[in-house]
Amino acid sequence: MNFLERLFGKRSSAETAKQRLQLVLVHDRAEIPPGVLALIKDDIIAVISRRVNIDREHVVVNVTHEDKASKLVVDIPLLSGTDGQAPGRSGSNAQRSTRRTPSASS
Amino acid sequence: MEEKVITVTSGKGGVGKTTTTANIGAALALLGKKVVVLDGDIGLRNLDIVMGLENRIVYDVVDYVEGRCRLRQALIRDKRAPELYLLPTAQTRDKTAINPEQMVQVCDELRKEFDYIIIDSPAGIEQGFQNALAPADRVLVVTNPEVSSVRDADRVIGLVESHEKGPVQLIINRLIPARVKKQEMLSTQDIMDVLSTEIIGIVPEDEAILSSSNRGTPVVFNGKSPAAIAYRDIARRLIGENVPLTQPQTTSWWQRLLGKTE
Ligand SMILES: Nc1ncnc2c1ncn2[C@@H]1O[C@H](COP(=O)(O)OP(=O)(O)O)[C@@H](O)[C@H]1O
Ligand SMILES: [Mg+2]
Repeated sequence: MNFLERLFGKRSSAETAKQRLQLVLVHDRAEIPPGVLALIKDDIIAVISRRVNIDREHVVVNVTHEDKASKLVVDIPLLSGTDGQAPGRSGSNAQRSTRRTPSASS
Repeated sequence: MEEKVITVTSGKGGVGKTTTTANIGAALALLGKKVVVLDGDIGLRNLDIVMGLENRIVYDVVDYVEGRCRLRQALIRDKRAPELYLLPTAQTRDKTAINPEQMVQVCDELRKEFDYIIIDSPAGIEQGFQNALAPADRVLVVTNPEVSSVRDADRVIGLVESHEKGPVQLIINRLIPARVKKQEMLSTQDIMDVLSTEIIGIVPEDEAILSSSNRGTPVVFNGKSPAAIAYRDIARRLIGENVPLTQPQTTSWWQRLLGKTE
């Protein structure tokens, strides 16, 4: 990294290499291509939001790798019941879920 | 079980498997072990020329498997060490000429006579790789500090573990300390973080490697070059000596000048 790159806070190429590797290896190890994960995320959003109000923008779908086992970890922030009427007859479900994960309510 | 059969593999080609096999084999032999290096790359024979033994081949491992010679006839003695042998592969056949069961049988024969059997795996993860993996007691995965070879190393480590072969250890080859320092190259720590696999050696980029394969003399035979030191350290770790892992240092112009006199 030269002086100017450092001055402007540009990330070193080794750092970029490491981050890119860590990301791609998560998918390689789980044998799920990144594009498929994006599709799974869309499916999950569609299914869940039929019942409860969720914060679609902040849904995270990830594969984690621990001790040779892969896990699909899904994090879906709920919108509290007052933010909007949940579709269908699931308003009460949404509130129950919100109470269980207080940090997710806005 | 004693770890006699050591397979050197990588996934990606050109990262230094053959160089590593030749040098670790020679270094183990120089430590007084009885060693055979086995070329696992059927059809793309290379270990012979890197070791300078290409003119002495009469029979190869495929001849032995197919019953055209005895094992002893296929083994080529390398006189530069007390007990070092090469078992060459066939140049005009393909990877299906031998299957994993036959490879295990060949190694079982060799186990009776040798302390160490070092197998140079071909690139890729097809049959040639499966052949090299089948008899392994220990697997050394060679990688360069570069994204594609690290990614392939991860894939290979996964495959080795799924075959319940191991232990797997990593050799980082062609590291350039000065570029790591400038953060232009993945460091040992970066690779360790990404692959979470034990590292058994770090071999720096070394001009002596090219001239040594030009001449057919593995660097460990005559040198104080940085790669020779690194390969000798790996051999000592393999026989169970406690040799701390040291980072290759940036060499100064005068060290390089002295190194060139070899
Ligand atoms: N530590 C090193 N320093 C410099 N050149 C190297 C080093 N290791 C390997 N090489 C060179 O890299 C090339 C590929 O090495 P090789 O051992 O044939 O790889 P592989 O068997 O994995 O295909 C060769 O030209 C070799 O001389
Ligand atoms: Mg090779």
